Order: sequence, then C-alpha cells, then structure tokens
Amino acid sequence: MRLFYLFKKEILEVFRQKEMVAVLFIAPLLQTILLGYVVRTDIQNIPVEIVNLSSSPDAFRLVNRITHSPLFQVTGLHRRPLDYQEIFKKGQAKAVIVFRDEEMTTAPGRLKGASGLAGGKEGPASGNGESGAATLRPASLLPRPSVQILMDGADANSAMIATGYFYGVIKRYLEDLLADQGQQLPLQPQTLIRFNPSLNSIHYMGPGIVALLLTITTMFLTAIALVREKEQQTLDTLLISRLTPVEIFLGKTLPMALIGLVEMTLGIVVVLLLFRIHLRGSLGLLFIAALVFLFSILSVGFLISLISQTQQQALFFSWFTMVLFLMLSGLLTPVENIPSVFQWLVEINPLRYLVKIIREIFLKGNGLAYFWKDLVVMGVVGFVSFFLSLLNFRRSVVR
Amino acid sequence: MPTEGINSPVTPTPPSGSFSGGEAARGTGETVVAVRNLTRKFGHFTAVDRLNFTIQRGEIIGFLGPNGAGKTTTIKMLTGLLRPSSGEVTILGFDLRREIRQIKKHIGYMSQKFSLYPLLTARENVEFFAGISGLPPARIKQVKQELATLIPPALLRLQVADLPPGIRQKVALFTCLLTDPEIIFLDEPTSGVDPELRRNFWSLIYGLKTRGKTLLVSTHNLDEAEYADRLLIIHQGKIILEGPPEELLQRTGASNMEELFKQAIISHETP
Amino acid sequence: MKRLKAVIIKEFKHILRDPRSLAVVFIMPLVQIFIFGHVLSFDLKKIETIIIDYDETSLSRELSQRLAASQYYELYFSPEENAAARKDPDRAEQLLRSGKIKQFIIIPAGFARSLNHSPPATLGVTIDGSDSNIANRIYQYNERILREFSLEKSHLPNPIQVNIKMFFNPEISSPYFIIPGLVAVLMVMISALLTSLSIAREKEAGSIHLLFISPLSPAEIILGKTIPYLLVALLDGTIIFLFARFWFGVPFRGSLTILFLFSLIYLICGLSLGILISTVAATQKVAMMVALLATLLPSLFLSGFIFPLESLSPILRSFSYIVPATYFLRIIRGVTLKGAVLSHFLFEGSVLLAMSLFLLSVASLKFQSMRRSGQ
Repeated sequence: MRLFYLFKKEILEVFRQKEMVAVLFIAPLLQTILLGYVVRTDIQNIPVEIVNLSSSPDAFRLVNRITHSPLFQVTGLHRRPLDYQEIFKKGQAKAVIVFRDEEMTTAPGRLKGASGLAGGKEGPASGNGESGAATLRPASLLPRPSVQILMDGADANSAMIATGYFYGVIKRYLEDLLADQGQQLPLQPQTLIRFNPSLNSIHYMGPGIVALLLTITTMFLTAIALVREKEQQTLDTLLISRLTPVEIFLGKTLPMALIGLVEMTLGIVVVLLLFRIHLRGSLGLLFIAALVFLFSILSVGFLISLISQTQQQALFFSWFTMVLFLMLSGLLTPVENIPSVFQWLVEINPLRYLVKIIREIFLKGNGLAYFWKDLVVMGVVGFVSFFLSLLNFRRSVVR
Repeated sequence: MPTEGINSPVTPTPPSGSFSGGEAARGTGETVVAVRNLTRKFGHFTAVDRLNFTIQRGEIIGFLGPNGAGKTTTIKMLTGLLRPSSGEVTILGFDLRREIRQIKKHIGYMSQKFSLYPLLTARENVEFFAGISGLPPARIKQVKQELATLIPPALLRLQVADLPPGIRQKVALFTCLLTDPEIIFLDEPTSGVDPELRRNFWSLIYGLKTRGKTLLVSTHNLDEAEYADRLLIIHQGKIILEGPPEELLQRTGASNMEELFKQAIISHETP
Repeated sequence: MKRLKAVIIKEFKHILRDPRSLAVVFIMPLVQIFIFGHVLSFDLKKIETIIIDYDETSLSRELSQRLAASQYYELYFSPEENAAARKDPDRAEQLLRSGKIKQFIIIPAGFARSLNHSPPATLGVTIDGSDSNIANRIYQYNERILREFSLEKSHLPNPIQVNIKMFFNPEISSPYFIIPGLVAVLMVMISALLTSLSIAREKEAGSIHLLFISPLSPAEIILGKTIPYLLVALLDGTIIFLFARFWFGVPFRGSLTILFLFSLIYLICGLSLGILISTVAATQKVAMMVALLATLLPSLFLSGFIFPLESLSPILRSFSYIVPATYFLRIIRGVTLKGAVLSHFLFEGSVLLAMSLFLLSVASLKFQSMRRSGQ
C-alpha cells in the first residue's frame, strides 16, 4: 500500500515535466522510425570508377552490366590508366574496376580455371568441358579480359560489399553466357535463406531497435530518480519514513518498468505496421523477456543513482554505460569476433541478450527452449546489481 | 491532529515575561531524548564533538549556533539519517543504533529546505507522505480535507514550486505532523522566511507544545532564541552553553541574546 | 580585447578548479577508444557451418575440404559432429534456429555421380537470414567458392579472371578504418560536451545576469567561453590521436600539420555546437543530454562511420551533410590511411569552417535576445 503512493508520486513527477514526456515518448518513436530507415545495410549506388583497357567484348558487356546495375553508381568510365590512389584520396569512388587484356596464351590453357587444380580424375567430364569451351568461344583468338578491382581500404566495409556485388555480376554474366550455349555450370547450389528470405535489413534491425528503446529512457530515468531526491532534499524525508530500501527500490523502478513496457508496445506497433515485419513467435514471451530485461537494466540504473552525487553525474554514468551496452549488443556489429579480453563484457550485457531474444522471437518464432538460458543470465545480472544496490543503500545515503 | 496545531491562532508569546507556566510548561521531567558523547567525524574534521544533553517531554529546545556549527549534522544523526562516529543516543527509551525502526514511528523531521516535491501540488504531497507513512486510506482522505482548510483553495492546485514560501513552510510542517509524532525535529524551519511569517511559525510551535509535543528547533537566528524553553548553544561542534534563555541572561549578565552569544563564543575560544 | 581576455581567464579558472570533471573529459574518451577500438569490428572471420555429406565420395569430401579450408569459414563441428548431424537432420535445423550455426550445407547422395555424368548436380545450402548483412556475405562467399569449384571440375572456360587489390589497408583490418572514425566521433562529442555546460551553468547559478549587465558584447562572451575550451579540446584530441596511432598502430601516411589544421577547425565546430546548445538549454542537465545525443548518434549513424553513406535513404543522406563528423571522417581517414594532402579537402575544410561560423553567430544572436528578454 505504501508502495502504491510512492509509485503514484513517481508517475506524477514524470508527467509534470513536459520535456520529460517528450523525451520519453516522442523521441523514442522518432528514433525508431529514423533508425529504421538509417540502418538499412542494403547498400546501393556504390560509387565506382571503371577503367576499361580491354578490347574484348566480354569486358564491354560487363561494363555495360555494371553501369546498368542499381548497385553501382559509375562515377567515371575511362579508356586509359589513371592515378588510382588519387581517386581514393579525393574520395570520389570506393572502388576502381580495371579491365585489361590478359597476355595471350595457348588456347587450352586459357580454357582452364584460374587456379588450376587439374581435373585428371574425371576423364569424361573434362572431355565434355573441352567441347563446351570450343563451342562457347569459337574465335579462340579473341582477347580474354582480366579484371582487377582496386579498393579503398580506408572504407573497407563499403569496399568489401562492392566486391561482393561485383562477383555477383560476373557470376550472372557467366551463367548467361553458358545459357546462350544451352549449358550451365555443373554445380547448382540451391540456397535457402531462412527467417528473412528477402534479406531485408529492417527485419533484423527493427526488433533490435525495440530493445534499444526499452533501455535508453528507462535507464536514464531510474539513474536520476534517487539523485533528484538528493538534490531536492526530499531523500531525507523518504529515509525517515518507514519505507524499507526494497520498497524504495520497487517504488522507483516499477513506474519506469511500466513506462518501458508502454514504450516497447509502441515500438512493436511501429515495427509491425510501419516496417511490416511479422511477429513469428509469441507476444507473451516477448513481454516476459522484456520484464526480465527491465529488472536487470533498472537495477543497474538504480545502482548508478546510488553512487552518483548529482543528476549530471548520474546522467553521465548512465550514458556511458548505455553506449557500452549498445556497442556490445550485437545490434550494430557482430559480437562473435570480440576479443576474449572483452568477451566478458558481452556476456554480462543484458541488452545483448534482449536483442538476441527479440530477434529470435520476431524472426525465427523461437520458443522458450531456445533462450531460457539467456533469460537466466539477464536475471542474474539484475539480481547482482539489485543486491549491490541494497548493500550500498545504507552506506551511500546514510553516511 | 495536525491541523489543530497549525490553525489555532495562538499568538507567539512575547519574549518578556511570557514564561508564566514556569517549570511545568518547560517539561514533565520525563527524559525523552538522551545524548551521550555524540560525535561525528568527516575525515579529519570533527563536525560534532562529544555532545551530551537530554530533552524532557514537552520541552521546546532552541538549538542555536552559527552556520556550520554542527546543528544539521546533529539533527541528522538524531533522526537516523547520518551514522554517528561514536556516542550513544536513546530516544523514547529506544537505542538509536539498534531500534531506529521503532524510533521512526514517533519522530517527525522537517529540513531547512522544507523538502516537498516541487512538481507535485500541496495536496499530492500530503497524500504521498501520508501514504508512505502507512496511514489508512480513510485517514488520508481526512488529512487532505484538513489541508484544504489550511491553505487558500486557489493554491491547492498549484505545484509546490509555485507556492509562496510561507505556505510551503506550512505544508511542510503539516506533512511532518501527519503521523502525529511525539518528538519533532525542525532544522532551521524559519530560514528564508520573513520576520512576520517567522512569528506566525513560532505560534504554531507553541500550539504543538500545548498538545504535549517535544520539539527541537535549530536556528542561527538569535531573535528566535528567546522563544525556546531551553537553549543549546553549539559552536564548532561543541555545546558551549546550555539553559533556559532568561536564566542564561541572568547568569552571564548579558543584556540581550546577541551579547550572550558573543560572550559565549569568546569564552569558548579563549579558554 | 581586454574584456575578452578577462572572460577567457575567468573561464580557465573554472576549468582548472574542477579537476574531477577535467579528469572525466580526458579519461572517458581514452576508455571509450580503448574498448570500442578493440570491440567494434565488421570482420566476419567465423561463419559457423555444418556440412552434412550424404554422398561420401572423394569428390564430396574434396568439396567439404574446399569449403572448410576457405579463409571465410570456420567449421563449427568436427567431422564426427557433422556425421552426427547426418543421422539426425533436425539437429542442424535446431542449431541454426538457436544461432549456434549460421548455415548448413547438405551434399546429397549421388552428388559426385550427378556432377560427373548428368550435370547439374545440386547442393542444399540453408542460411540464417535474420541478419541480412551477414547472410548476404555468406551467400556471396558460398557462390564464389562453389563457382570456382564448379568451373574447375567442368573445364568450362573461365572467361574472366578477377583479382582484388586493396589500397591503403591491404589486410582489410577493421581497426584501420574504425579507429580514425572513433577519433572523429569522440572529438566532436568531447568538444560539444565541454562548452555545452558553460552558459547553462551560469544560467543555473544566476550569474548569467552579471554577464547580461556587463559591457561585454554577445560575441565577446561567446568567444571568451569557447577559446579556453579549444585548448582543452586540442589537448584531448592529441591524446586520443596518439592513443590511436601508437596503441592501435593506425598508419599515418599524411602530414601532421594538415591533420592538426583540420582538427582545429573540426574542434571549433564541435565547441560552437556545444555553445549553441548551452545558450538554448535551460539547465546543465538538459544541455549535457542534448550535447551527448546530438553528437553521438548522428556521428555514429549518419557520418559514414558505421553505415556507409550509400546505404542511407535520400532524405537521411541529406541529413548527413549537416553532420560535422561526415566531413572530418573523410579528412582523417584520408590523411592517416591514404596520405591525402590539403588540396583534397578544401571543400570539407570550408564546410566545417562555415558551420562553425554559422553556429557561433546563431549562439551570439540567441544570447543577444536572451539578454534583451532577461532584463
């Protein structure tokens, strides 16, 4: 019952601050929408420069395909060599694709693969291949192009993606070439992409952003909750009342948890309606996961509030913690490659588990069996911070 | 009944010849607060140095001293907000270290900043404090009605931050009395309030006394010293003078409080 | 000028009297660059894969080995485990679902026969598509390896030979392009944070009224509050950069003078942003939040640091043009990794300079209007 009044007071205080309400509800929504659109990792229009020094028709056709692909934006097409370094220094392209004529060699050697693993053992097939090559390229004296892709390693991310795209273009070209001859590559992998067949990045990012939403505001609010009372001089009154530390903890965190859940619901609605992502798993499980997460993140926030002296300090600490959680969450970059010295930070990061669980529920429709361990770890992180708070409570408020 | 004390228009007793009640008015003789060798250190700095005093039921203690003398530190220790470095405190027979939960049920505390929630209205503040003190809902309803008789209705809807200081002070005292405490600690309740309001406030304090409450009121304002039944003058963490105001004046031969205070400090600093 | 000097000195004293905040300002970026420099990486060295070989011929084993030996894969399970998955196909599905593997490849029975005698042979590849970016890369790696294998076995002509050359960063080391980006983000964040509190603090303390009634012009106050922090920010920037250079070994191929010059402009830009925030915000708390959020998020997401600018939608792309980090990122990557020179960045430099001037003037105007309404 006493808890109810504390609860009511917290809620009243939050809603009395207009800027707070804006920060709480409008900012996160804007953020979801904005981030949802920013974080399209489907990259298009990569600026490339093409230098075609080859006279082969293959090179011309490939140049043509690249120019017409939406994936590339050809910023310049040249017929003579350039100062490639200069292009990158100016930053006018991420990659330069250079077509050259290869040194003429004898026809059979030319027909073999680039990295020559002699196919001696499958006799009939090789004969088949020879004849195919002959039909494919009757005028065997035509020059054969070699392609060099020069990349700006300073932006290795874009450059690597560009190469990937380029390989795709070549592969399709090759297949078309063979198809013209009524042939196909002898190995046809059937690739099945599970959970997100359209490879739409928003399907991956959207649910993750919902997780982020839950973190930002609730953690900030909890972190300043106690410090504000300190600054307002009202903390003494709370302490002199018959409220126990646990009651104060609950009174401070439960309202934030409620606000967090409302925000998450809004986020989910945005994700479902605006980004058109289907929820494959159970909504109930999603909320259970959110509750466990809130317990751990709010405990951390409460701990921050206890060790801070001013609201500014509290904001700063929680901001620092949050950026750390965000960077180590797998939301932006994969966490598998993080060096083992820092791996423990990943292991105790509640946001990382939530991101994982939310994605699993949304995209894979996984049930509890797949992530109950993650829930346990989040809960443990929460309990540890909770007990640290209780241990610190007397010491930091009653000095 | 909190409002009784606050609303009853007791005029503040003028300092001269007002203590007609004599010893009876000063206390019943039952010791409700006993302090022995109470000390608090912050690092190397000793803020409160071996205080010894007792308070009788029904007394108004004036806790007098310049800023930084250790008044707030002492009150915070007496209310359990600050841990003493050493010394013993017994309040209503309960030991402060071990039985703080019992003590909390019987004390009220109001700090110099009035400690209300600035974003909430007076009514919401009262409801909150009544709520966390564990008053039953019916009683909470009742105190809210009492509050309405206490301050002008137009002000009831304002957030505390927008209330005039005098009203804020009244509301703060009201909340402090919600649990009907036996002993009330008021830490500089009149700081930042004009003399007129200050006098009104003391009339409220007298009202409380008539209802048998025990009060410890700290102030650095010498004018207020004469309102108290008994003075504890604290300087640099030590109690340098103790006794009823008129008796102290007589004993030292000082003509007024200011002189008394100056003398006390000088004699303390030049032993 | 004399008055300006007085403001500068006062502000300096403020900075020096608060050693704790100063320590935070110097230590925090170092901690961040240390952690994030080690942690942020786009490398995808491990793609946990299971290969289920139902064919078990020399050809299928050769293909398995080829996949396993690729620099891109890490086979998640030992051959025995692969064999276990072979008996229980659900196992692979469970592992994919739980995220323990990223893909599984099934080589069907009769694969070798089919490849040799009745091509095309098929191969079942199942990829976890939930992270579209990673799935895309896995798909492309697969295609590349399988195509090479296929061409080899068929003796069809490979009409095109491809080789890749990576300039400036031949080992495609993630830190080399992440660290300079981090330096850019941290520099703008710190500089904005430094000044964001300066005027808000005076507002809270009420001392702003003293500034109002002083004969100082708004421009003098704004400059007087910016210049001292420029020195702090420069020192901070230098420390961050030295850390990047020597701890992470980021190559430095350009001229130190040029980097210094552009860093100076960039820091002024950040400080100006902070001072503008400070004039608008009512309290230090708000100023600080705005400064942190207004610098961190755009610098991370809209500058090309984490997500290539090409991936932004046109509207957001246009936002990226007002983010200072967008320009400085080009400069710092250019100078450190590519050895670019002054003439490459005339445009970027002028934009940053123009931004600073704009921000400072808006701050002065805002201060002016505050003074008018404040009296």
